[in-house]
Parts: sequence; C-alpha cells; structure tokens
Amino acid sequence: MKTSESKKQNRIKELSKKADEKQKKVLTMLKEHGAKIYDELDNGQFPKFTIPSRSVSNIVYDKKLRQYILGSNAALRSSRNSAQLRSFTQLMWLAFFANRLTKEKKSSTLRDVYYSSQAFGVEFEDQGESDNIIVDLEAVTSRAREDFHIFPEERSSIFGDLNIEYTIPGYEGKTMNLSNHPDGYSIGPSLTTAELVDTTAEIVIAIEKGGLFTRFVEEQVDKKFKSIIINTGGQAPRSTRTLLKRLHDEMKLPVIVLTDGDVYGEHIAMVIKSGSANAAHLRELTVPDAKWVGVWATDIEKYKLPTIPMTESDIKRCYDLKKDPRYQDGVWKKELDVFLKIKRKAELEAFSKYGLTNITEKYLPQKLELAKSL
Amino acid sequence: MSSIKEKFNQISPSEFFYSNRDLAGFSNPTRSLYTAVREFVENALDACDQKGILPDVHLTIKAVDPEKSDPKPYILTVKDNGPGIDAEHIPPAFGTVLYGSKFGLKQARGMFGLGATMAILYGQITTNKPVTVKSCADGKIQNQFEILLDIQKNKPVIVKHTTKEVSKTGLSVSICLEGDYSKAGIKIRDYVYQTSLITPYASITFDDPKGQKFSHPRFVKNIPSPPTIIRPHPHGVDVERIRRMIVESQFEIPIIDDAMIEKVRTDLGLSKKNLSFTSIMEKAEKKWKNLSRQVRVVIALMSFLKMDFEKLNKIRIEDLDIPNKKLSYWDFGDSQSKTIDMDPESQYYKQLTNTVQGEPLTTFLTKRFQRIGPTTAVKFAAFVKFKPERRMGTLSNQELVTLSDGLQKFEDFMAPDSSCLAPLGAEPLEKGIKKFFNPDFTAVVQRPASAYSGFPFIVEMGIAYGGDIKSGGPHVYRYANRIPLLYDEGSDVVLKVVHDTDWGRYKIKGEPPFIIVSHICSTRIPYKTAGKENVADREEIERELRLALQFLSRKLASFMSKRGQAEMAKKRANLYAKYIPMIAEFCTELAGKKKEPNYQKILDAEKASQPKLIPEENKIENK
Repeated sequence: MKTSESKKQNRIKELSKKADEKQKKVLTMLKEHGAKIYDELDNGQFPKFTIPSRSVSNIVYDKKLRQYILGSNAALRSSRNSAQLRSFTQLMWLAFFANRLTKEKKSSTLRDVYYSSQAFGVEFEDQGESDNIIVDLEAVTSRAREDFHIFPEERSSIFGDLNIEYTIPGYEGKTMNLSNHPDGYSIGPSLTTAELVDTTAEIVIAIEKGGLFTRFVEEQVDKKFKSIIINTGGQAPRSTRTLLKRLHDEMKLPVIVLTDGDVYGEHIAMVIKSGSANAAHLRELTVPDAKWVGVWATDIEKYKLPTIPMTESDIKRCYDLKKDPRYQDGVWKKELDVFLKIKRKAELEAFSKYGLTNITEKYLPQKLELAKSL
Repeated sequence: MSSIKEKFNQISPSEFFYSNRDLAGFSNPTRSLYTAVREFVENALDACDQKGILPDVHLTIKAVDPEKSDPKPYILTVKDNGPGIDAEHIPPAFGTVLYGSKFGLKQARGMFGLGATMAILYGQITTNKPVTVKSCADGKIQNQFEILLDIQKNKPVIVKHTTKEVSKTGLSVSICLEGDYSKAGIKIRDYVYQTSLITPYASITFDDPKGQKFSHPRFVKNIPSPPTIIRPHPHGVDVERIRRMIVESQFEIPIIDDAMIEKVRTDLGLSKKNLSFTSIMEKAEKKWKNLSRQVRVVIALMSFLKMDFEKLNKIRIEDLDIPNKKLSYWDFGDSQSKTIDMDPESQYYKQLTNTVQGEPLTTFLTKRFQRIGPTTAVKFAAFVKFKPERRMGTLSNQELVTLSDGLQKFEDFMAPDSSCLAPLGAEPLEKGIKKFFNPDFTAVVQRPASAYSGFPFIVEMGIAYGGDIKSGGPHVYRYANRIPLLYDEGSDVVLKVVHDTDWGRYKIKGEPPFIIVSHICSTRIPYKTAGKENVADREEIERELRLALQFLSRKLASFMSKRGQAEMAKKRANLYAKYIPMIAEFCTELAGKKKEPNYQKILDAEKASQPKLIPEENKIENK
C-alpha cells in the first residue's frame, strides 16, 4: 500500500517535472525573442524578425513527412515598415500575452485572445485578424498555439476504454477512464495534455458526425469492435488531431476514419492523415497511417444508398482536389474520380434506409475487415 | 397662267441684324443684358490696349424703375479712360451697323465693332431710347451725343449734340435696354471677375442694380505689347479674298483732265513756258524715280501718243489693248477715234502693262502676303503651274480657284507670323492666378505660336491646386483673346481636352481643389457659334491645348507626389509614435526587464529625416 502510494507520488512529481520542463522551454524561447526586440529598441534600431512565408508559393508537399510543410522562403517583418507596424505590434502583444498564459498556467481560447487584446489597447479588426496573428506566432516560434495555452473553441469528443492521467495543475496524477460517461468526453486542453496510461481497445474509429457518434456509443461499438470512438465534429480540430496522433504513436492503435460520402468527407479523412495547408508550419498533427474507410463513392452504388446531387461548389472542390499531390493515386484518386463521374453524394445517415443499426451491424464490420487490407 | 413676280428688296445691315438678333447673342432679356455688358467692356479694353493705356473701366447697371419686376428696362453704362473717338466718327460708329475700326488682321476681343451697335440696336428696339455717347479724344473737349439708329436706312439720327470742357480722354457709352438682372447677374459678375483675371493690368469696377460694388483693382503694371496689323498668311485666304486683293493691287487708267495735267506738270517741276513734248519726256526720265504711279502712267501714255499737254487736253483714252499692243483714243478735234501701235520694247510699255493687268504673280505674292519671299514665290508658281510673271489681272475665274487651292495646299510657306498676337504672358497669368486663388501650387505655360488654316494662334495655360480653390475640380476657366467664355461649356475644345485627361495618372484623385485657366489667342478664334462662347475642336488647337495641359499636369504630378511623400512621412511618424511605445512595453515584460528600452532615439531620428515641402515663394500682395 505504502509503496503504491509513494509510487504514485513519484509519478506525480515526474509528470509535473515534465510539464515544467516543457513550460520552461516555451518561456525561455519567448524571452529570447523579447530580449532581441528589447535590445534593438535600446540601440536605436527598428526591431525586426523573420517569419517563414505562408504564401501559397511557399507551401510544398513533403513526401517523406507525408504532409504539407513550409518551404524555405522567409519574410522580414520590420517595425520600420509602416504597413507592417500594426501587425508587428499585435504580434508583440500576443507573445507578451502568451508569455503570461504560459507562466501562470492559464488557458485561453482564440476568441478569448481576441477580446483580451482590447484591455491592452491593441486593436484587431475582427477575430479573423487575431487568429491570423496567432498563426504568425506559431510560424515564428515553430510551436503550436496549444503550447502557449491557446485553444480553439470547438470541441470534439472521445469515448472508449482508455485510462488517462491528468498533468494540468491541480489534477496531476488524477486518472480517468473514458468509458465512464456515455455522452463521451470533451477533447480540451486537459485531455490533450494528459498522459495516456492504458487501453483494451485495438482500433480508433474517427467519425465525422455527432449523431453517429452517439449511435455508436449506444450500439456499444467500443465493446463490440474493441475500439475508441472519436467524434471529429466535421473537420477535426488540432487538439483532436494531436490526440489521434498520440493514440496511434503512443498506444500503437490503428486509426480509421468514417465520413459522409462526399468530397468534403474525403478531405476530412485526408487532413487527419496528412494535415492541412493552413497548418503547414506545424508538425505532430498528422496520422500518416490513418485510413479512410468510407463512405466511398463506390459504396454509394455498392450499398444502393439514397443520394442527393452534388452542388456546383462540391464539383468545384473535386476539381481543386484533383490538383492536390495527395490525390494522385490510390483510393483517394479513385474515389474522387467516381464522385466526379456520378456527381452524387450520400450522408452517413443514408444507411438508416435499411434500418437504424444497419451501419453498425453490416457496414462497419465489412469496412473494418477491409481496413486491415488497406 | 399668270407669271409670278417675285420682289427682291435689298435690306440694310441694320434690318438684317434686327431680324436675326439672336445670332449675335440678343435672344432674350437675360442673355441680351449679359451680351451688351460684354460688348461694351470689350470695346473699352480693346481701345485701351491699342493705345497702350492701362485701362480703367467702370461698368454700371441701374434699373430705370427698381420697383418693377424683371425683365425690365435697365441703363447700362460703360466708361473708360481710352483714347476716345473723334466727334465726326461718333454718329456713324454708334449709329451704323457694320461700321468699325477693327477690320485689320490682328488679335482683338471683337472683330468688327458689330456687337456694340447690336446692343444699341437691341436697346432701341426694346426701350425706344437713344444711345448716349460721351467722348473726349483730345483731352480738352468732350462731345456728348444722343443718337438713334434709322434701321431701314442704316443711318444715325443725332438727337442731341453738346460739348463741354474736360481734362482727360475717354469714352462713356450708355444705353437703355430691357434686361433681366435677377437671372443675368450671376453671369455678369462672373464675367467681370474672370475678365479681371485675364486682364490683370486693368482696373474694373462694377456697380450692380442692387447697389453692390464689385471692384477688381489692377495688380500688374505692365500692359502686354499691343499686336501689330499684318498681311494675311497664304493658308488663310479664300478665292473671294484673293479677288479683292487683286482689285486693290490694280490701278485704274487715270482720267486725264485739267487737274491731272496740272498735277503732272507740277510733279515734274515744269514751268508753264517750257512745255514741248520732248522736254516733258526728258524731264520725266530724270525725275522718274520720284514720280507717283498716277503720273508715271500719264507720262507712259504721252510717250506713245507723242503729245504735249495741250494736245493731251483734246483727247480721251478709249482703250488700252495690251495683248495687241494698241492704244485707242478719241480725238475731240477731229471727232474721231484713232488707234496707234505701242512699242513693247519701250520702258513705258511695262508701266502700262503693270497698271492694266495687275502685278506679276511673284510680286503679288511677296508684296501682299506674309511669309513669302521671291524664292518661295517662284517655287509656288511652279507648284500651281503658272508663269511667275503671269499678270494677276488676267486670271480667269477657274485660274483664281486653282491659285486659291494652291495657296492652301502648298506646304513650303513658313508658319504664320505671330506678331499680330498679344498673349497675356506667363508671368502676369501666374500673378493673376496666385492673387485670385491663393493656391498651394501654380504652374503656367505659354506654348510657341502655331497656326490652323493660316491663322496664327498661341495657347497659354495655367494650373493651380489647393489654397482657396473649392474642391470638385478641375474647374476650367476658358478664355479666347482675353474674353472669358461662360456659356455653352459642353461643346468646347478646351473641356474636351480636360475631360480626356486621365487625372489619376497625375496623382489627382476624387474631387480635387484644382483649376485650369486656358487662354487661346488668335487672329481668328474658330467659334462654334456667332455668340462667341465655345471654341471648335480644330486639330491644331486641340494639339496645342493637349501639350500645354500635359506639361502642366506633369508639374502638378511632381508637386502632388512631393506633397504625398510629406503626408506619408507625417502619417508614418504618427504611426511610430503610437506603436513603438507599445512594442517597447510588451517586449520589456517579455524580456523579463524592469526598465523600458530607450526607443525615443528612433522616433527623433525619424522626425529629423522627414522631407519638407518647398514653400511657394513670395505671395502677391493684394493692393
């Protein structure tokens, strides 16, 4: 008893030490940036820094990493340039604010950052502008915003037999099993930073829609197929993608993705697999081995699913993706071509035509089987 | 069938203009009042210009009955300090249509003095009151006339004539006419205002019917040199003009009467005793160079007739047949016609030929036109395939047309002489613009003389930006021969050129506070209408306007870009002052420091490096 207690204490120490080290690294990095600006000002120079260019021409696909990355182009941001002065100041403030958040171990959201700026006399036109500056900070520091305790608003959720151990202040060492609550657990800062302890699951099923997530929990897909179910809520947020990556890398679980049978669904799966151009400046957000198992364009015919016609923008999106280097082969290319050919799409709910449990009893087992061979 | 007899009545010029008065700008009470003001003010300024007098012009408009509503009779008086008009010329000048002193070829505001008589005519028609003219030409006696116009006969009727002693020359004309000042007022005030801009050497005052006084003092002391009268340019004449020039150049065979014989005798310096034919001829040969043309012709005739004065008195010359070299005369003594042969080798033969057949082509060209020398004249003769010595009097109608066409088409004539033009000059124009608008930027240009259809012209232009100028520009002030053009703006060539300009190229955007002053001087302004309000788009004029405007616009653009740079620098300095302290504040905490960095250095350095606008030099004092 005593040994297990001291073991736990050690474990907590270890965890908080790890968190402290990470925090220290971030703080040191921010301080270095601040000191450089400070010295330049003190020497009578206009402060400046370089930032990797995020223009389209500098976003390239890295076949080795299997994701989009930024090329070598960098831009100089100078406070002498009056056109850049405002955004320079905004970025300085953000670094200053991120520094406070990190130091005091407080979390913020994108929206919260936008509103907080006003208290310091820093103006943002709208949240879009402030979000953009946050991406700038990520690009300059090569760190995700989550490292600065800035999180998106949207939450996706997770359900399944997975034990975790919190690392956030006040919860260090506290554990939780993620199958205890049937509504699932919201994937927020505390869950993303938690240690993944153990699991009986053998696979992770990421699903695009909340409705189907609930159905899967009700149908006990987690038990039937020994799986962890994740609701991505449309395009998966970064925290969710980080968690997916950790489940794959740390727990050695394969990841499959189930989306609507349309071009947007196909791309949700692709972003989980190889990231988005928007986050080309960041790593550790992709699951290159993730597999998209459906709903495929070919499934529409095969399962005789009720369909609706594709819209103009659906078709345009198909043509856009055809130019993407990731869609040049395999299932990605094949399904995209079929979508373009049939010009129709189907929702995940389309299986309800053949009974509410049809998707979990018929479709899912077939697809899980198929995934093994993919 | 009865034949229809048509009646042709010759009408007098007065009658013609009476029935076509709208042609000359007298279409309604508003327009008529404005036109009358213009005509008299312009005549006054022209008169002063020609004598090199700095003009003082006083314009007064008074309602006959102020209580009445418009349109109503007004008394319009224009008084100047010009040379005045001799008493004898006053009745025909103010009581005859088409009587004037401006028929020569040079730049003047008005052309034929037609407008003033039209105004008088209009006044008489609408109010039945005579024109009052007070004139002093000698600086001592002032003649005062009241004159009515006999429209049918085109003749003045003097109602009253008095004289009084005065000390200065000058002319004052006063007419009573129906007008509408409530409507015309704004144009008349504009006209006076704009006239004073283009006539900076004139002092112009205006007392309006409402008791308001508008005073535009002279602010330039030098009057531009008056234009000279010149011969026409070959490109500027038509068949009719050539025909008239030939008639002018020809000389009638003088009637040989007692008076003529007496004149010849006196000119030869002969006493009555010594009058033999031989002695007359001898004397003539000696004195030939000093003899008048008339006398030479008589001598030439006498040489063939071989007669002395006594015999000459008894004949009458009937015909001079140059091609057949025969001279016929009627002998009163024998009561019969006689014919003699003329020796073409005789020196006197040439004299007679010249007289009857006019000058040779080359002489005609060099003597009667500007810009034609002997070489050009010979070249031109070859061009039209006429012999250079061809006599002008022998040209057929068809040949006249050929000649006229040739004059138009021949390209080796030099450009018209511009000494007949009197542009205002760049300096006074600039002074005027600066005084009127107190602008931030002014530029003026005077283009070199050019010509269209043989009429020389010069374009002067000024441009100004900022200062007291209202926004909504470019505002265009159009002038032709120092007359402001206020009506019919839409179809004017100047506005066409202005509207064609892409102002964005010159860094001028939105509704700028910006004016353009354009002045076209020419012996003949190609007006589109008789009302003299808009200039037709002749290619050559349009080109000169365009070049002038481009030149000035480039200057304005460089001013605007300097100004833009200065504004940018100011803006930038403000941005620095706002943001740099914030950056300093944030990076201080970020760097973990207590004291803020010394950022004032860069703010100060930036302020010092700002470019400065060169201020407009010496503003003109309004005196």
